[in-house]
This record gives sequence, structure tokens and C-alpha cells, in this order.
Amino acid sequence: MDDFVVETRADGVIVVSGELDIATVDELSAAARAALETTASTLVLDFGGVTFVDSTGLGALVRLRKEAEHRGLGLRLDGVRPEVRRVLDLTGLSEIFPDQAEL
Amino acid sequence: MGAEAEPPGPSQPAARPAGPRRHPGRVAAAITLVGLVLTAGSTLATARIDRTTEQRLLDGQTRQAATVLSTAIMVIELPLQSTLAAQRASAPAGSTAPFEQVMGAQVGAGKMFQTASLWRRQGADLRLVATLGDPPALSPKAASTLTYLRHAFDTKTTTVRLVTVGSRSEVAYAHADPTSGWLVYAEREIPANRRAPVDRDSAFSQIHYAIYLGRHTTADTLSTTDVDPRTLPFHGVRSSQTVPFGDTSLTLTTTPRSRLGSDLSGALPWLLLGGGLLLTLAAARVGQRLTRDRESAEHDAATITTLYQQTETLYDQQRELFVRLQRALLPSANPELPHLEVAAEYAAGARGLDIGGDWFSVIELDGERFGFVVGDVSGRGVDAVAVMARARFTIRAYLTDGDDPVTVLEKCSQQFDILTDGHMTTALVGVGSWRTGEVTLASAGHPPPVLLGDGPPHFVEVTPGRPLGAGVAPYPVSTFTMPAGATLFCFTDGLVERRGEDIDTGLTRLADVLARAAERPVGDLVAHVLATLRHEDAPDDIATLAIRWTGES
Repeated sequence: MDDFVVETRADGVIVVSGELDIATVDELSAAARAALETTASTLVLDFGGVTFVDSTGLGALVRLRKEAEHRGLGLRLDGVRPEVRRVLDLTGLSEIFPDQAEL
Repeated sequence: MGAEAEPPGPSQPAARPAGPRRHPGRVAAAITLVGLVLTAGSTLATARIDRTTEQRLLDGQTRQAATVLSTAIMVIELPLQSTLAAQRASAPAGSTAPFEQVMGAQVGAGKMFQTASLWRRQGADLRLVATLGDPPALSPKAASTLTYLRHAFDTKTTTVRLVTVGSRSEVAYAHADPTSGWLVYAEREIPANRRAPVDRDSAFSQIHYAIYLGRHTTADTLSTTDVDPRTLPFHGVRSSQTVPFGDTSLTLTTTPRSRLGSDLSGALPWLLLGGGLLLTLAAARVGQRLTRDRESAEHDAATITTLYQQTETLYDQQRELFVRLQRALLPSANPELPHLEVAAEYAAGARGLDIGGDWFSVIELDGERFGFVVGDVSGRGVDAVAVMARARFTIRAYLTDGDDPVTVLEKCSQQFDILTDGHMTTALVGVGSWRTGEVTLASAGHPPPVLLGDGPPHFVEVTPGRPLGAGVAPYPVSTFTMPAGATLFCFTDGLVERRGEDIDTGLTRLADVLARAAERPVGDLVAHVLATLRHEDAPDDIATLAIRWTGES
């Protein structure tokens, strides 16, 4: 099982890896909220290393997205793996978090 | 709760920590006792040292006073000795001129002697030959006087007697020269009350004194004193010196007028006593407080332990309450609907401590249609259950009002907001007809159901809209017709989701299990699927709902 890691890069991108679930979701939320304080336009979460997202993790992503919207900002998931993309598709969230490759 | 601890009832007080109990009062008493003993000991020791110092000082003063007294005696004896010497040298025949010359200067009011007389012994005869000043108190005719005077010839030094006649008290001196036969007699008055004033600068200025004639210190032998004779003998710190005085001696007893040593030395015992008592009091108080604090800390620890135990108990009770709440919110019996066989099952997650928000629901809508819902609130806990209850009854209300699944979800998407609810809800909402087998479906982010009995099991194609709480959104409709005997199997993601595994793998596994069990009665089918797919350690809870349409026959 991969360790969950959240790292905010110098360019403001939050790089996430590991399994996003009820145990790790608070760590991502804290980092993202801190980043939203300084981000000017769209907060990017690099999901290239995320291998699993449970329903709590999905709820947190939706919540962060809504909080960003309240500030007039955007929130984007980059590099989403196919297995996570599939979950987003199944849960009706691909509209909110569209596949960047398709745009 | 640990197996090693026996869970007590919520109201049962925790056992007090073992060990002897210290009563604050007893501790204070013990400290006070020790403090008093120490204070008394040090006070006594210091007082003793002070007393020793005082004694030493007084002894010194007394020796000094005794020297002064010796000098005074010499001053008294000197005229007597001078007279005898003069009489012997210049008037062996009988002239009294030397006596009158020497003693005349010493006798009279305010002088050393009140009276003086010259006697001459010739053979056995002892005769008074001259007298100066007042008549002597000691009668010259009395036999006792003659006996005393004869005794003076046997003594080389001055003989001294205390003479009291009436109110007069005199010290009598007799000094004789056996060779020439001359004898000088003199009397020195002492005050009737024996009181004699003391010069401020004299050796006696710092002491009270009493002078006794002889070695015995009784009222009879008292010569002079500066205190009320009735207060004698002295008490407390006292000293005495004996000074030779003619054929006898003077005993000088003294006691300090005031402190001889430094005031600090005398005050020290009292300072120690006072300070010691104060310290003892303070120590007792501190001891009492410390004991109380400790007792209270022990009590707090016991209370915290009890609270922990109570919390554990409450937690257990709460969890049980959650599970009962969850189960209460799920239908205990599905409605009897024509041409339908319905089975449903809810399985709590293995974690169990936080209750999940999965639910299922089947309702009769009218004479032809039925509604069904399977939902899943994200996250766990009592909040999730509360959101689940709201979602369940909101959806049910819209369905009962006659709304189709798409309308139901669209209306609901306006009612829920993850920012205020804290949770997001996925839901599969369907409306079917038991006359035609036609089913209309819409999904708010929920996994699609499996249709059994229409060829190989397959997932119904339904494009999911956003979960409830993720914002207002449109929901695509999905419509299909179940063949008679077909089964629609709805579930929540806990049944298929596994870590480290693609969701499609889980979905395929479910389809396979269903394919092999498709012929079973629905109740049996649901139980079998759960038993087969439910991971023993699966964290998530699972809701399943199977609806078989038997068709109109």
C-alpha cells in the first residue's frame, strides 16, 4: 500500500499520491484550503499518483471545488489515472472534474 | 474498550487509588507537633545559652562588687587599727588622746561610725575609758557585751557583731591589742529596713544585692540590701561572693537589675519561639494544602478514569443507538406488491464504529407503479445517518407526489449542499410498473443496477448525474423493460469497491456471482451475493436491493 503524500509545489500545484480515503482526506483538504488562500485563478491538483479514491475522498474533492467557486476560483484535477477516472465517471463527477486530455 | 478492564456502569464510582489515605488535618497536626518540638528545643537551648551568658556576666559583676566591699571593709577597719596602733605607741599609760584624735574624725552624724569607745584591760578587769558620739547600742554594763569584748582579745582581727536594740540596728566592731590591753569599739548604724541606696556609677549599679554577715543568708544575718528585704532571697539568675570581714565574713548575693548581656541575646529565645511558631503554623498550612492538592489530584485522576470508562460505555451505547437508528430508518418489511418479489439487505461495515449512510427503499405509488431507491451518503457517523434520513424521506416524498426519477433528483439536487450538509449522497431512483415491467431510472452518481434474466447479466445503461450535494444538475433518464422473471439487482459501492483494484474488476466479479445465482429466490440471491462478495474486513457498509418481476400471469 502506497503512503499518502500531499506536497505543494513552488508553482502552487498540489501533488497528491497514494490512496485518498477517510483516513487521508483531511490532509489534502488542509493543503488545498491553504493553497486557495494564495491562488489567483485555478488550483491544480496533480492526481498522477492517486491510485484510489473512496466516497469520502470524492466528497472532499466536490467540497473543495465548491469552496473554490465561492472565491471565484477554479479547481482542476490533472493526470487522473484511468481507474480513478472510471470512478469519477461512475459517480457523475466527470462533468465537474473533466478529463484534461479530452479538452 | 480493552478486554483487561472490566467496564463499570456509568454511575459506578471508580475504585480509589490504593495506598494509605493521608488526612490533611492529620498531616497538619503532625507538622505542627514536629514544629512545636523543634521550636521548643531551640528556644530552650538559646535561653540556656543566654542564661549562661547572664550568669557569667553576673559572676563578674559580683566579683567586682566583692572587691569594692573588701575595700569598704578596709576603710572601716583602718581607723580602728590606727587607733590601736596610736594608743599602743604614744599612750601606753592611759591617755585617751590618740583615740579621740583618730576616731573623732570618724564619729558623728553622717560619718562612718555613730559611736566609738575605748576600753582598757588590766588583769581580769575590762573598763570603758572613753566614748565618742552617741551612747552605744550595746550596753557597756551588760555581761554579754563584756563576753564579746573579751573575745576580741583572743582574735587578731576585728570582731564583728550585728547588734539590734529596739529599732536600731548596728554593726558592732571590736578590735583589741592583747599586748597593750587597749580595745577599740565602734558601732556603725545600718538602716532599720536594711535598705541602702546605690550610686549610679558604683559597682553595684547594675545589680541588686544583699549583704549578709557570716555565711548564712537569712533575714537575721542580713546587713544591707538595695531591695525590699521581704523579696529576699533572690530568685532566677543570682551569684554570691564571700568577703573576709574581721573574725567573720560578709556574704554578698546578687541578681541582675536588668539584662547584663546584649538585648539580642535575651530576645533571641523569644524571637526563636515566635518565629518557630509562625513557621510551624505556615508549614502546617502548606502541608495541609499540599495534602489536599494531592488528594484532589488523586481524586481527579480517579474521576478522569471514571469519565473514560463512562465515555467508553456511552460510546458503546451511542454506537448501538446508531445501528438501531440506521436499522429503524430501513424498511423492516418491504411492501407486498403484485407480481413483484423484493429482497433487501443491509450489512454494516467491518469498522462498525462509525455508521455509514447506505439505504434502500421500495414504495407502492399507485395501482400500477412502484418506486425504489438505493442510496449512499458519503462519509460516516451520525451526521451521515441524518443526511441519509433526509435524502431518503425527501426522495420518497417526491416519488409519492408522482414525480419521475429525473424530476426527483433534479429537485433534490437543489435541496442538498455538501458545504452545509458536510456529506454528499449518491442515489439510484427508479419507478416501475408491475403491469408492464417497464422501468424508468435516474442516477445521482450511483453505480448502475444489474439486470438478470435478460440474456447474460448486464449493467443497465444509466448516465449518472452529479451526486446530491455537488450542485444543481440535470439527470439523464434511462428507460427499459424487464422481461418476466427478470431481476433488477441494485447495490451500493461497498459491494464492489476494493483497494488496489479497478472498480470494473469489482463490477465484473459481481456480475459473475449474480450469473451463477440468477435462478435462486431473491432472498436467497441477496444473501448469497453478500456472503460471497462481502469482504470480511470491508470497511464500507453495503445496501442491496433485488426486485424480481414475475410478469402478469
